[in-house]
Amino acid sequence: MTDKAKRQRIRKILYWGLPVLAILTVVLAWVLFSASHPELMPGPVAVWNRLLRTFTKPIGRINLLGHAWASLKRVLSALVFAWAFGISFGILIGWNRTARAIFGSIFEVIRPIPPIAWIPLIIMWFGIGETAKVLIVFIGTFVPLVINTSTGIRAVDEINIHVGQVFGGSRFQILTQIVIPTALPHIFAGIRTSVSSGWTTVLAAEMLGATAGLGSMVTKGWNGGDMALVLVAVITIAVVGFILSTLLSKLEKVVCPWNN
Amino acid sequence: MSESINQAPVKVAVRNLTKKFGDLLVLDNMTFDIHRNEFVCVVGPTGCGKTTFLNCLTRIHEPTEGDLYIDGVPADPRKHNISFVFQEPSAMPWLNVQDNIAYGLRIKRLPQAEIDRRVNQILDLMGLQDSRRKYPGELSVSAAQRVIIGRSFAMQPDLLLMDEPYGQMDVKMRFYLEDEVIRLWRELKSTVVFITHNIEEAVYLAQRVIILSNKPANIKETLTIDLPHPRSVSDPRFIEYRNYITDKIKWW
Repeated sequence: MTDKAKRQRIRKILYWGLPVLAILTVVLAWVLFSASHPELMPGPVAVWNRLLRTFTKPIGRINLLGHAWASLKRVLSALVFAWAFGISFGILIGWNRTARAIFGSIFEVIRPIPPIAWIPLIIMWFGIGETAKVLIVFIGTFVPLVINTSTGIRAVDEINIHVGQVFGGSRFQILTQIVIPTALPHIFAGIRTSVSSGWTTVLAAEMLGATAGLGSMVTKGWNGGDMALVLVAVITIAVVGFILSTLLSKLEKVVCPWNN
Repeated sequence: MSESINQAPVKVAVRNLTKKFGDLLVLDNMTFDIHRNEFVCVVGPTGCGKTTFLNCLTRIHEPTEGDLYIDGVPADPRKHNISFVFQEPSAMPWLNVQDNIAYGLRIKRLPQAEIDRRVNQILDLMGLQDSRRKYPGELSVSAAQRVIIGRSFAMQPDLLLMDEPYGQMDVKMRFYLEDEVIRLWRELKSTVVFITHNIEEAVYLAQRVIILSNKPANIKETLTIDLPHPRSVSDPRFIEYRNYITDKIKWW
C-alpha cells in the first residue's frame, strides 16, 4: 500500500470512528454523572426500565408509541395546510410585485414573532382542543415556508427566464416550468425547516395542556418529579426528529436529483 | 470587396431598427436583410451594442423604433420559431440533457413522437448520447454549451441567434464547435445570426459578415466571404478577409 492510500484509509476510519466516539463519550458522561448524582439525573438503565414501563403501565392509557403518534399527527395535519398555503403564498409574493407590495410588509411584521407567543390568544379563541394545537404548529411551520419559497422564486436566474421568452413561453409556462423548478431546492429547505420547527412547536403547545403527546409526557414527568419519564420523552423526541430529517433528505434526493 | 446578390428569399427583414435606453442611443437606424438558410456573422467593437441588437431580435427588448420581420410578418416568439444561444451558460440545471434539449419543443407543444425523434437526432449530432440522463452540473463547460446549442438546433428555428457562444472556451474546443455549428447549419438548413468579437471566427464561419460601427451601432459594411467550407485559417484569401475586417473595425 502506498503512503497516500494508507493515509486515506486512516482518514476513512477516523471519519467513521469520530462520531461513534463522540456518542460514546456523551453516554459515558451520562453514566458517570447519574451515578454520582442519581437525584438530578437518572441513569441509562433507569431510563430504559422507565421506557418499558410506558408499555406495561401506559400513561393516561396511552403507551409511548401512542403519545409519539399523537404529537406526530398534530404536526402532520398542520404541515399539510402549511405546505399548501405557505408554498402558494411564497410563490405569490415572490413572483407578483403587487402581491409583494400588499402582503410582504404585513408578513415582515408577523414573521419575527415566535409561534409560542400566539398560544394565549389562540387558546382564548379556540380553547385547548386539537384545533388550537394544530393552529399553533401551523403558524410555526408557515413562516419558514413562505420565506424560503419567496426567496427561491426571486433567486431565479434572469437568463433562464429569457430562454423561456425566446422560445415563446407564456408567463404561466415561465412560472411553472422555469421559476418554480429553480426555486425547488429553496422550497425544500423551507420544508425541512418547517418540519423541524413544527416538531418543536408541537411540544411547546402540548406542554401547556394536553392529555396525549410527547409534550404532555414531559409535563407529567416534570410535575411528578419523574425525571426518567422526562428523559424517555426527550429521547423519543430526538429519535422521531432524526427519522423525519433522514426521510426528508431521502425525499429531497428524489425531488431535486440535480442538486446532489 | 463587394456584397454578392443572394438568390434565396428574404427570411428576416430588419427595418430602421433603433433602440434607446433613456437618452442613450444604442442602435441607430439599422436596415438589412438575411436570406433563408444564410449564415451571417455580426462583428463590431466591444460594447457597441451587439447583444442589445440580438435582444431586440428576440423581443427580450422592444425596439424603440423600426421593426423586425420574419417571412414578412413582425417577429413574435409566440408565432415564430426563434432560438437563442446565450453567451452565459443557460441550460436548465434541474433538467437532464435530453429534457434540456426537449425544453423548447415542449413549450411549443410538439407531439411526443416528434420530440423524441428530434432529441435523438441532436444527441447523435452533438455526441451526447452517453450523457443523455446527466444533469448540466455534471457536465464539462463545453458539453453544457453543446447542450444549449443542441437545444436551439432541435427547434429547427426559422432564425437561430448565437451571442458569442464560444467566448468562454479554449481554442481547441472552439475550433471543434465551430465546425459543429457549420455541420448542424447545413444538415438542418437553418438561418443563423452569429455574434462574435473574434474576427477570425467570423471569417471562418460566415457566408456574410455584418460589420457594426462603434456605439450607437449602425451597419458599417456588409461583406460576403466568398470561400468554400471548410475554410483554412492559413489560406491567403482567408487572411486577406481577416485583415480587411480588422482594419474596418480598427479605424471606425
